[in-house]
Amino acid sequence: MIRARTFTDARAQSHTNAELNWWIFMRISGLILMFLILGHIYMTFIQVSESDATYDAVVNKLANPAWKFYDWLILSLSLLHGANGARYSIEDYVRSRPNRAWVKGLFYTVVALVFAFGTVGLFSI
Amino acid sequence: MGTRQHRPEPPGNDVEEDLRMYRGREGQWAFLLHRLSGLAILAYLLLHVFSIGSFIFGEEFYMVIHERYDLWPFRVGLIFVTAGVVYHAFNGLRIIIMDFTGFGVAYQRQMWYGVLLISVAAFAYAAWTLYPRIMGGY
Repeated sequence: MIRARTFTDARAQSHTNAELNWWIFMRISGLILMFLILGHIYMTFIQVSESDATYDAVVNKLANPAWKFYDWLILSLSLLHGANGARYSIEDYVRSRPNRAWVKGLFYTVVALVFAFGTVGLFSI
Repeated sequence: MGTRQHRPEPPGNDVEEDLRMYRGREGQWAFLLHRLSGLAILAYLLLHVFSIGSFIFGEEFYMVIHERYDLWPFRVGLIFVTAGVVYHAFNGLRIIIMDFTGFGVAYQRQMWYGVLLISVAAFAYAAWTLYPRIMGGY
């Protein structure tokens, strides 16, 4: 994890290009997700009730390819953003190398399965 | 005061480095809340994708899960999720400003209080808007 306060520091501290790219990715995806998710919460929780999110409502909404794309963008960006954020936490708090390896492996597996499940769900109807 | 001898730091002790870097004051709480809210949102997201995506198993399966979410504790929980997302989003914006502008670090403390204010306002707005729905159960 890069512990920089500025972009210049981040570039100096990054051991690898991949690490610096993740650092940049977190900022860009975060900025995009801010609009996508706050919009999603407003439209699907503040404006309408949970009672309105019935099976039929979900299926009808996802019949529109624009909503499919919107939801899939949230799904993929937020899972990548969240998985990388959790990776920072795992690397900070799981101290022993073997424990870190299997905790990460298990966690990445869960994230990959959820991503596959969500993608299949979005595009199967 | 005598000079204290410096011992070399044990290598790779990131948690202690963290604590030293952010010890005390607003920066430490901003960092901690950002992590906790991020992990909480991730946990919610994984559940959310499963429960909404479960419509691929058919209407009955979906509705069995979904009817549980109609209970009031889940609705109140969603207000906290909203506030958590707003905190994480605006504190993230504060981090971006610190990273990419010259003045960001100098004003990080003031910005954090702004973030807290926005989060509390979002919580209050969501709670106020949803209050009749939670009470009425619709």
